[in-house]
Amino acid sequence: MIRLSHLTKNYGAFTAVDDLTVDVREGEVLGLLGPNGAGKTTTMRMVTGFLPPSKGRVRIAGFDLFDHPIQAKRKIGYLPEQPPLYPDMTVRKYLAYVAALKDVPAARTKAAVSLAMERARIGEVADTRIGTLSKGFRQRVGLAQAIVHEPPVLVLDEPTSSLDPQQRSDVRQLILDLKGRHTIILSTHILPEVSGVADRVVIINRGKAMAVDTPANLAGRLRACESVHLEIGARAAASAVSPDAVRESLAALPGVRDVRVHLNPSGTIEARLESGVGVDVRAAAAALVTGRGWQLLGLSGESLSLEEIFLALTRSEVEGGA
Amino acid sequence: MRHALAIARREIESYFGSPIAYAVMTVFTFVSGLFFSNMLVHYVRQAALADAQIQKFGRSEFQLDVPTVVLAQFYQNEAFLLMLAVPLLTMGLVTDERRKGTLELLMTSPVRGIEIAGGKFLGAFAFLALMLLPLVPMFAFMGAGGNWEAGVIASGLLGLLLLGGAQIALGLFVSSLCESMLVAAIGTYGLIVTLQFIDTTGAAEGSVWVRLLGSLSFYARHLNSTRGVVSVADVVYFASYVVLGLFLAQRSIDALRYKRS
Repeated sequence: MIRLSHLTKNYGAFTAVDDLTVDVREGEVLGLLGPNGAGKTTTMRMVTGFLPPSKGRVRIAGFDLFDHPIQAKRKIGYLPEQPPLYPDMTVRKYLAYVAALKDVPAARTKAAVSLAMERARIGEVADTRIGTLSKGFRQRVGLAQAIVHEPPVLVLDEPTSSLDPQQRSDVRQLILDLKGRHTIILSTHILPEVSGVADRVVIINRGKAMAVDTPANLAGRLRACESVHLEIGARAAASAVSPDAVRESLAALPGVRDVRVHLNPSGTIEARLESGVGVDVRAAAAALVTGRGWQLLGLSGESLSLEEIFLALTRSEVEGGA
Repeated sequence: MRHALAIARREIESYFGSPIAYAVMTVFTFVSGLFFSNMLVHYVRQAALADAQIQKFGRSEFQLDVPTVVLAQFYQNEAFLLMLAVPLLTMGLVTDERRKGTLELLMTSPVRGIEIAGGKFLGAFAFLALMLLPLVPMFAFMGAGGNWEAGVIASGLLGLLLLGGAQIALGLFVSSLCESMLVAAIGTYGLIVTLQFIDTTGAAEGSVWVRLLGSLSFYARHLNSTRGVVSVADVVYFASYVVLGLFLAQRSIDALRYKRS
């Protein structure tokens, strides 16, 4: 349904998007995940035909965006990061205007506007001026604008950023409702935003796709990158525990890359394990400690933040290339 | 065409939601009325003077056809007023869409650049026509009291529409170049004031350059319409400016996509 091939955008010497190739199947929801400035908005703008790419092609529902821009653009509904609203118009008039721009037949405009308002749940503000609406409502009007012509493809750029938690969950629910009716590309810089909605996620950093996978697989890879934190009692049944002994035995576990040990003033020993990609060492570490007859006071896995995921992915790429 | 009409309609509605447009329309109407009544009074007095001279001496050194003189003078003043009003109407045409982020909506819709430019032009032009509407009752009032030629009145109005259309198209183009409304207004003033007065330079009469510049000038062309003459050449002349302005605006709107924003 959406095919991006070798999509590249250069601004002078700066490469905002670097050779991005993704295929989005019909009905699929693709999440574009990356920190601010990663090239998400630039990508969205190229997909919608707002920005011409420096290199590469975009195909929407079988139409090449550059050879047949009009036909391709008819198939797209787009919610930019800043919803494109006219504050002096009422919601209903605004949506009718957008419907005219998107080639909804005049006879069907009224019904299309009503349906879009119903789906975006903004019926109650239909005749309110947009300028007086709250941010959450504006975002929903933006969403209604994107779906008023029932496009097969929806492009949503950070639809939930700059909303409060309640509005955010409302908008997320709306997007879930739209799932199945449209093929959706959705961008965000917050991981939980995509994990519940997207079928596949592209992690993008500095314009490059770092990983393309399902949220479940990505989460698995992330768990594999966890670090494990252990606390061990100072007095063991058999013998005293030395930090060195702890370090040596833990480091011998398969999959463990690095062990750091710290002796607390209270006499307990803290250890921090870092495991290699794809290995979960929690069970093995627990078995080892209890097997030695040491007291296991605590064990916890620490999830990595998005920031650390990027670091992990960049690092593994460097290692892979070396 | 449907796109252009939708854009034009939205533009007109937004004029009526904007204090700037109301202010421009109000001041334009007020000052027009002021000019008109002042001129009328002045020339009626002159005519009365001439009549008195004829009665006393059997002849007068000047003969005055009040309606013709008043209309010619009035329409020339209106041309000047338009020059002041139009940049205020066109300054926001594209800059405002950029500021609101709605340009992104237009550019990602199945709409051609010329439909955007054409729709914007039509919207501003329709507002201009509405702005000229209050002149009609003024003429009606005058027509009740004398021998006024409807043809001269109509050609004058047509002349203002032609002149205003050319100014709007150029203002639209300048607006598409600027990020700030103020800069767009100033740039448009610069452009249309130059075109208005370009043939009144002090260069030697009859030189090629003077004639060339003169042929670009609004002033001489518009003068015809104030005297009851609108030729096909005049229409083509002003229409060419409209086409030029729309063409440039369309190209420039399209080029906005290449800028990093």
